[in-house]
Amino acid sequence: MTRFYLHLHNRIGFVRDYEGTELPDLESATRLAIDSIRDVLSEEVRAGHMDLRGHIDIVDDVQTILAVISFSSAIELHLAKGNS
Amino acid sequence: MIDRHLMKLRARDDVSAQEEQAIASAISVVKDYPADLTVIRRCEELIHSTLLLDGLMCRYKDLRNGERQICEIHVPGDFVDLHSFTLKHLDHNIMTLTPCRVALVPHERLRAITEEFPHLTRVYWFGTNLDAAIHREWELSLGRRSALSRTANFFCELHVRLGLVGLADDSGYDFPVTQIEMAECLGLTSVHVNRTLKELREQNAVDFRRGRVKLLDLAILRRIAEFDPAYLYLGRRQR
Repeated sequence: MTRFYLHLHNRIGFVRDYEGTELPDLESATRLAIDSIRDVLSEEVRAGHMDLRGHIDIVDDVQTILAVISFSSAIELHLAKGNS
Repeated sequence: MIDRHLMKLRARDDVSAQEEQAIASAISVVKDYPADLTVIRRCEELIHSTLLLDGLMCRYKDLRNGERQICEIHVPGDFVDLHSFTLKHLDHNIMTLTPCRVALVPHERLRAITEEFPHLTRVYWFGTNLDAAIHREWELSLGRRSALSRTANFFCELHVRLGLVGLADDSGYDFPVTQIEMAECLGLTSVHVNRTLKELREQNAVDFRRGRVKLLDLAILRRIAEFDPAYLYLGRRQR
């Protein structure tokens, strides 16, 4: 097991993960990052807005960035015709 | 040994010296458990109820994919499964969140209490009703409150419950659980909990870091939570 830290960058700024999570591999950490983005976005959608200009950095114990998961990669977005 | 349990009971009713003696002598054994241990599993046949003396425990249910929902936190002085006396097995699991000391009370001795101490029996009946009230409040939180308000409500509830047993004051309380466990209480991911904690800090309501809940402004926290302690039945009256 490895400890992964998921730092969030979104419209309210930077939220550092001080505790981290023990996970078997980077793939599990990526899944957690995607779940987390969906969770954060769903709360925002309930409040009537969705801002996809965010990302989660997955870092290790020495703060090396192992992956960057963008908000837009975590959801499939279908817009009505005429919108972009 | 049962001081905190008595504090909790006496916050809401009188408990006589004779009743106190009956509780103390109903304990068969005291045990210590490490943190993160599931001590009671769903469907396991039970012959005793567990009284939490020290530490934090929780009730939880989980899904096949490993996702877990914590349904209630137990603080020192709580019976974690008084309801197992009548149910005989539980539909949920019980786990330690920190190292814990517990006292086991055999169901046969609880039965003797119901036969010999009708008032104490009603006090314990009240206790299981109180757990049900807490579950309903959590249901409201999980179903309807925003993440911010839900988290605020969680901190307010624990402030009151820990305060009753002398483990919280105006400045805050020790709460050595991880953000993942918080997330499992609040139906959020740990990243979302983190984000919500930041917002509560920025609104000058509460600061939760390194196992300590620091109350920055209780009035602000309660306002964010729409906290109404009525569901904790804090009035002292004859049961």
